[in-house]
Amino acid sequence: MSDIAVSVEGVSKTYGGEQPVIALANVDAQFLRGTATAVMGPSGSGKSTLLHCAAGLDRPTAGRVRIGATDLSSMSEKALTKLRRNRIGFVFQAFNLVGALTVEQNILLPSRLSGNRPDRAWLAEVVDRVGLGDRLGHRPSELSGGQQQRVAIARALVTRPEVIFCDEPTGALDTQTAAEVLSLLRSVVDDAGQTVIMVTHDPVAASYADRVMVLADGRIVQDMPQPGAERIAEQLARLGRRQPVTSREG
Amino acid sequence: MLGLAAQMLRFRKGTFVATFVALAAGVMILMTCGLLVESGLRYQGSPQRYAAAVAVVADRDRTIAGPEIFGETESTTVSLPEGGRVPETLVKAIAAVPGVASAVGDHSIAVTPVAAPGVPATGHGWGSAALAPYRMVSGTQPRTDGEVAVDARLAAGGKLQPGDATALVVGGTERKFRVSGVVDAVGPRAAVFFTDTQAARLDPNPGSFTAIGVLAAPGADKAAVVAAVRTAAVNAKTYVDGERGLVEQPEAVAARALTVQAGAAFGGYAAMIIIFVVAGTVGLSVRHRRRDLALLRAVAATPGQVRLMILGEVGLLSLLAAVVGVPAGLAATAWTRDQLVTRGFVPGTFELSGGLLSGLAVTVAVAVVALSSAWIAALRTTRIRPTEALGEAAVEPALGGKVRIVSGLVFLAGGVSLIGLTGATGGTTALGAATGMLYTFVLAVALLAPWINQAAAKLLTPVLRTVWGTSGYLAAANLRANARGMVAVLTALVLSVGFGGTVWFLQDNLQRQTVVQSHDGTLAQHALTGAAGLPATAAAKARKIPGVVAATGVRRTSVIIPNQLEAQAVAAQGIDPVGADQTLDLGVRSGSLTDLRASTVALSTTLADSAGWKLGDDARLWLGDGTPVTLRVVALYDRGWGFGDVTLDSETLTGHTATGLDDHVLIRTAPGADVTAGLTDLANAYPMSTVIGTDQLTGELAQDLAVSAWLNKMLIAVLVGYAVLAAANTLIMAALARARELSLLRLVGVTRGQVRRMVHAEQAGLLGVALVIGTAIAAITLSSVVHAVSGERIPYVPALGAAVILGGTIALALIATMLPIGRVLRTPPVQGIGLRE
Ligand SMILES: Nc1ncnc2c1ncn2[C@@H]1O[C@H](COP(=O)(O)OP(=O)(O)O)[C@@H](O)[C@H]1O
Ligand SMILES: [Mg+2]
Repeated sequence: MSDIAVSVEGVSKTYGGEQPVIALANVDAQFLRGTATAVMGPSGSGKSTLLHCAAGLDRPTAGRVRIGATDLSSMSEKALTKLRRNRIGFVFQAFNLVGALTVEQNILLPSRLSGNRPDRAWLAEVVDRVGLGDRLGHRPSELSGGQQQRVAIARALVTRPEVIFCDEPTGALDTQTAAEVLSLLRSVVDDAGQTVIMVTHDPVAASYADRVMVLADGRIVQDMPQPGAERIAEQLARLGRRQPVTSREG
Repeated sequence: MLGLAAQMLRFRKGTFVATFVALAAGVMILMTCGLLVESGLRYQGSPQRYAAAVAVVADRDRTIAGPEIFGETESTTVSLPEGGRVPETLVKAIAAVPGVASAVGDHSIAVTPVAAPGVPATGHGWGSAALAPYRMVSGTQPRTDGEVAVDARLAAGGKLQPGDATALVVGGTERKFRVSGVVDAVGPRAAVFFTDTQAARLDPNPGSFTAIGVLAAPGADKAAVVAAVRTAAVNAKTYVDGERGLVEQPEAVAARALTVQAGAAFGGYAAMIIIFVVAGTVGLSVRHRRRDLALLRAVAATPGQVRLMILGEVGLLSLLAAVVGVPAGLAATAWTRDQLVTRGFVPGTFELSGGLLSGLAVTVAVAVVALSSAWIAALRTTRIRPTEALGEAAVEPALGGKVRIVSGLVFLAGGVSLIGLTGATGGTTALGAATGMLYTFVLAVALLAPWINQAAAKLLTPVLRTVWGTSGYLAAANLRANARGMVAVLTALVLSVGFGGTVWFLQDNLQRQTVVQSHDGTLAQHALTGAAGLPATAAAKARKIPGVVAATGVRRTSVIIPNQLEAQAVAAQGIDPVGADQTLDLGVRSGSLTDLRASTVALSTTLADSAGWKLGDDARLWLGDGTPVTLRVVALYDRGWGFGDVTLDSETLTGHTATGLDDHVLIRTAPGADVTAGLTDLANAYPMSTVIGTDQLTGELAQDLAVSAWLNKMLIAVLVGYAVLAAANTLIMAALARARELSLLRLVGVTRGQVRRMVHAEQAGLLGVALVIGTAIAAITLSSVVHAVSGERIPYVPALGAAVILGGTIALALIATMLPIGRVLRTPPVQGIGLRE
């Protein structure tokens, strides 16, 4: 087994239409097993697109993506889905849950889809750590935004995937809950050797990572070992001055 | 996946209600049609008068080979409108068959008892009583020709007892008889038994029987006897078991044909509409859940799993719909059956039978339609990128593929080319072409709807802006952006306006055409009508009345025409050509009615066209009793709807109709002549006859038509109702699905009033387009049929009907949108913007 969990090689993504948008421009990046990486950058810089391409949710216009040794570019939609189901967890920015299903059913949805018997003990632990123990029978519409986000994280963790992708997982959370969620993510990296790749705007959140990668205009403009929350904030501020960000939401 | 599907159904009841309603109503309608067909096929009347016979030999239909098409001939079996006859000599031949105890010829003679005119009765020879176990209630069998044995029902109705004298109208004349006995008889019509010799004398077609009953010798092998009888009677048909009922009761054959044909034809239309509606609603419900489905994909459901889930949902819904729709269909069929019986379309013995087969077939059929449209809609979801789940709102997909636009244009071209075809044909073929045309156009609209919506939105933008200001501007933008989402709505609205307009008004036009032609073409002022028929002497007698210029006996019948595609029975009249030009104006185009005699025929131009006959041709056709004749075409006339497509000399029909009597005598009197006394005398001379004005005759015709139009109109009303239901359904679904969007608009500062006006403006745009297209389709279809039928370009459209169809559609669309939108607007916008959609 190689040490590289995810490898992105020369990936570009252009959104078609009358005015094509280059969301990613020839991005190369490797993510090591058992590490957490924070992807940062201004709104519209291509963070989400990078995550989607790396997780096999979307296909890059050019370049290749590998999960471990598996090359995603030649896989069928079905094979990709199965790979995501077994080896990848994903926490989206919003709209993570199926409204028709209860919290527990949402968390177990991937196992149900793959027909695997869920690991009850692990489920209990995950649920406990995200603090949802008393909410399992509720529907998403009865939860706050932060609670919904925690359900999504529990869902991503419960299959014990190799790589967990999170797109601003703490954006909607208060500081206290955010800290809990982040230490949860940190612990799966440290204890289980899983890999976390997380988009965030928050320097504090990024400080939970081992490495910080900054995107601007679809390119990696900075890639450094995690230097601490203050330094990150400084770096970002500099980046912000150099390159004014439009008001587009991230 | 099925568990997931069930959960989705439970949670998103709102979205599925529409689909469920469409499916359940569809099952109900198809179930009704299916059950009518099934009952019709199973219905054989019931052998009552022939219950003791092992087989019945009769001649009731003709199998006629069609033209050779690509080396193959398709033959059609047409039941003989007047019922065929079997020759007397056949009785001997059958009686000689080994194992046959006796063969009994049966006469069926129309009889009207003067003592009880309301009791429908048929006369037979006493010999035929052996075919059924009749029980003598009192008295004896008829022993002399002046005696009759009567049915207990008749005895009760006419208060008759053995020994009483009574009068019967037979062959248009009143005869006195003495009641010899009362028998307990069964069957839908009361029986009157003459002696065999008397029955043979009274039969209008001497030398023949209506049927021959075969009694097997005790201990004989029935199958062998039947087989031997079949060989002995090669020119007729041998009916066994339940089929004997069909021979006994000609009305059973008619009822069977009616229910099977009406059920099948209507079922066909219904199936088409149901396919549109179900496909539309299922597609829409899938579209409204795009984000849910994308999320499932992102959370690692394979495209196959998502498809399976959608199919599971629709499959479950179809089952539920069957659970509700099948019993509802049973109830609806029972109601329809009662109506058919009450209105005299089918005899009271017609019972609904079966149901299991129809129920199963309909459920499967509807499920197949629903599942395949779900499959098509689900195929599209395969193309949903999982990342779509993450966007703020699911991206409106592109308008549609090349395949869709190309096939839409092909159908449009097909519809246009059918206009030409409908114009070229006439009568019944035109009706078929018209329905084909209607469907082709609607299908084209359904396929092209995204582009139509978009183009209409572009065209309407300035209008909506001028009328509704900012709201109109927003409405136009919505119409453009939702071009695809409103496809089902446009299709359903066009369908209800186009279909309702065409078929409903077509009925009005045909009815009107018949009445107008009959009215315009009748030159006589008076008509002698006889409930029990009029002998040929009536016309002769009328001519002798001073002041009468001409009198024409008219005999209504049907003949079988070997049309270009398949043989069919068409309405015909037999007239006495002498002086007919004074009483009738058939609108002769070419030739002359004065050449009408026993060896010639006059045809309506439409029939001549569709059968391919020209003036001077020899027309080969079959009379109502199946006798083939070759007649020279001597005249072509326009007024086929009013008078029947074939006009024959009464002489040609002699011996070939069941009664051998005229239905009415048209009487033309000289202007100013006082003929009242003469006409009263005339009416008195014939039993159960009256003299009426010819306008009254036309009025009765209109009434008869109204009765038969009832069936058609009811069927249309049900179909239009269904299309309208579907339109309402889709509108409500579309309105509720917009909760989020409308909340957003209100959050950014659009007032409630503005939102409401915006929705009004959208409605106006959508409805305007639907009404214009629907009306255009109805107008084109209607005018081409009416042109084919009557030569007129402008169809007759009753103002009230038009108002009902247009107004109804508008009211419905407004109610179906404004109510749910009102509900949406009452919820606080912050709540509406939440996760719940
Ligand atoms: N589905 C899409 N269609 C067109 N353009 C898109 C789509 N998704 C993202 N983009 C564009 O691609 C660029 C990168 O987007 P994204 O990766 O979402 O940025 P962020 O860094 O804020 O997550 C942006 O300019 C965005 O507008
Ligand atoms: Mg983003």
